[in-house]
Amino acid sequence: MTGFWPILKRELFALFVTPLAWVVITGFLFIQGLHFYLVMSHYAVSMELGADAGPMQLFFGQTVFLYLPLLLLCPVLTMRLFAEERRSGTIEPLLTAPVTTPAVVFGKYLAVLVVYLAMWLPTLLYVKIVAGAGHVDGQVVAASYLAVIAVGAGYLAIGTMTSALTKSQLSAAILSAVTIIALFILGIGEYVLPEGSGKELCAYLSVWSQMNDFSRGVVDSRRLWLDLTIIVVPLFVTVRAVEAWRQEL
Amino acid sequence: MAMIEVEDLHKRYGPVHALRGISFEVERGVLTGFLGPNGAGKSTTLRILAGFLGATEGRVRVSGFDLSTHRLEAAQKIGYMPETSPLYPEMKIEEYLRFRAELKGVGRSKRTEEVGRACELTRIADRRRMLIRDLSKGYRQRVGLADALLGRPPLLILDEPTAGFDPNQVQQVRALLDALREDHTIFLSTHILSEVEATCEEAVVIHEGRVVASGNIEALRQRKRAGVVEVTFHRGEGELKEAALDTWLTREHAIASARRRRTEGELETWRVTLGPGVDPSAIAALVARLVHAGAGIQAVEPLAASLEEVFADLTGGTPDDDDDDPEDEG
Repeated sequence: MTGFWPILKRELFALFVTPLAWVVITGFLFIQGLHFYLVMSHYAVSMELGADAGPMQLFFGQTVFLYLPLLLLCPVLTMRLFAEERRSGTIEPLLTAPVTTPAVVFGKYLAVLVVYLAMWLPTLLYVKIVAGAGHVDGQVVAASYLAVIAVGAGYLAIGTMTSALTKSQLSAAILSAVTIIALFILGIGEYVLPEGSGKELCAYLSVWSQMNDFSRGVVDSRRLWLDLTIIVVPLFVTVRAVEAWRQEL
Repeated sequence: MAMIEVEDLHKRYGPVHALRGISFEVERGVLTGFLGPNGAGKSTTLRILAGFLGATEGRVRVSGFDLSTHRLEAAQKIGYMPETSPLYPEMKIEEYLRFRAELKGVGRSKRTEEVGRACELTRIADRRRMLIRDLSKGYRQRVGLADALLGRPPLLILDEPTAGFDPNQVQQVRALLDALREDHTIFLSTHILSEVEATCEEAVVIHEGRVVASGNIEALRQRKRAGVVEVTFHRGEGELKEAALDTWLTREHAIASARRRRTEGELETWRVTLGPGVDPSAIAALVARLVHAGAGIQAVEPLAASLEEVFADLTGGTPDDDDDDPEDEG
């Protein structure tokens, strides 16, 4: 993994020195702040507080507010990783330095993952606010964050891959958004398909169901294996794609 | 062991056969020019040498390391400057060079010194806190050159190092190359002949993906020299006195062309070019003919062809009309 650290540092530098990371984080926090406000307003007027449906469960599960920003912001975070380097030609000095291809790919990927984590970090304040008003189930919170990190890490891996497959940032963003949204829509099959293997497959692939499970504190390891697959396979394809440019450019 | 060994290198881009089996060697400590018209395959070859592109066929070794199996080891020996010096616009020169130094494995304690040295050598020290986005083309090129020097690699591969510079800066780069040749093997590409004549000891000439000549610059120049002489004489009182000398001189088939270059009083200097493939002994025959006609010969001087003529000859082009000094390019 020669070259991993300097590449990670430079990517973080590029993300935070250009407004991109700040714009993404601000947009995300605006939407999540609104989301949290709606959840809190709901509980302020509704007296029912089931053991299975506290504010944190509602924040992380059963709501489209959680996914919409992910579906759109992850492609924006990843789009420039490789596409921009290829367009501007900086990929040439980068790949001729004594660095390995996996180091380049993981360095860049980890940089966007760090931004993603930074994006979620302020939402811990919501947990603190809710905890101030009543009881918060630690397992629910831990499982929920595990799920958003695992799912987001997969989306970022897909974005990293599409950025390596095209020279244009815009096509990279569109391609990854389409892939991620397609994966998301697959989950709807669980509700519309007739009983059978198709329905089961869709249920297994459904991000929606995963978030519902995890936001209740139920950690299903099969879901995590799926997430891991969605991280590893695109990154592997990215490494192969970058190596393939060396043969044909 | 040579610094660069290239054996039967081929590169195909789909149907385009860009390199068609090139082979050459670059010796350690020698400044070698890589010469060819645009589109000859220079950049492709340099990108393969630098490990950016893979070869379709053939073998490349840098400092003894085979690029197909030991790319990282070879990369540590190379300072590479790509043709357009692509850089990250959002970084300052110093930030960029520090990043590159770290990437090349320069230790933390030596990084500041190493970046400072590269900035001094390439004369960008006064701008090191400027954003790369705000730099002129010449400065960007110098940042690219500074990058190649980081970590003091034994081999510098420079793609068109003087492109984008004004004539003063070109002189500075040449002076820098001259200083660097002490400790580095330098392999630089260019399509500007005067560049090679001014800086390089050896040259490899490629054309349409093939090596058409390689070796010492002087030896290359001599390849065509034999065919051109300048003869200085006065006409004397014989048949030459009123003759149209250009037709008189080219009466023999061996002489392809004759042109008056200078006249000083009675003395005339004519440049005589032998036909292709003509034995140089034809010069002796020409001199004898002149003497027989009553001319008083002052000097017979074989002319070394300019590298430009050799180049045109090798690559099938025609040099510009050579009435003026052909070295005024670049």
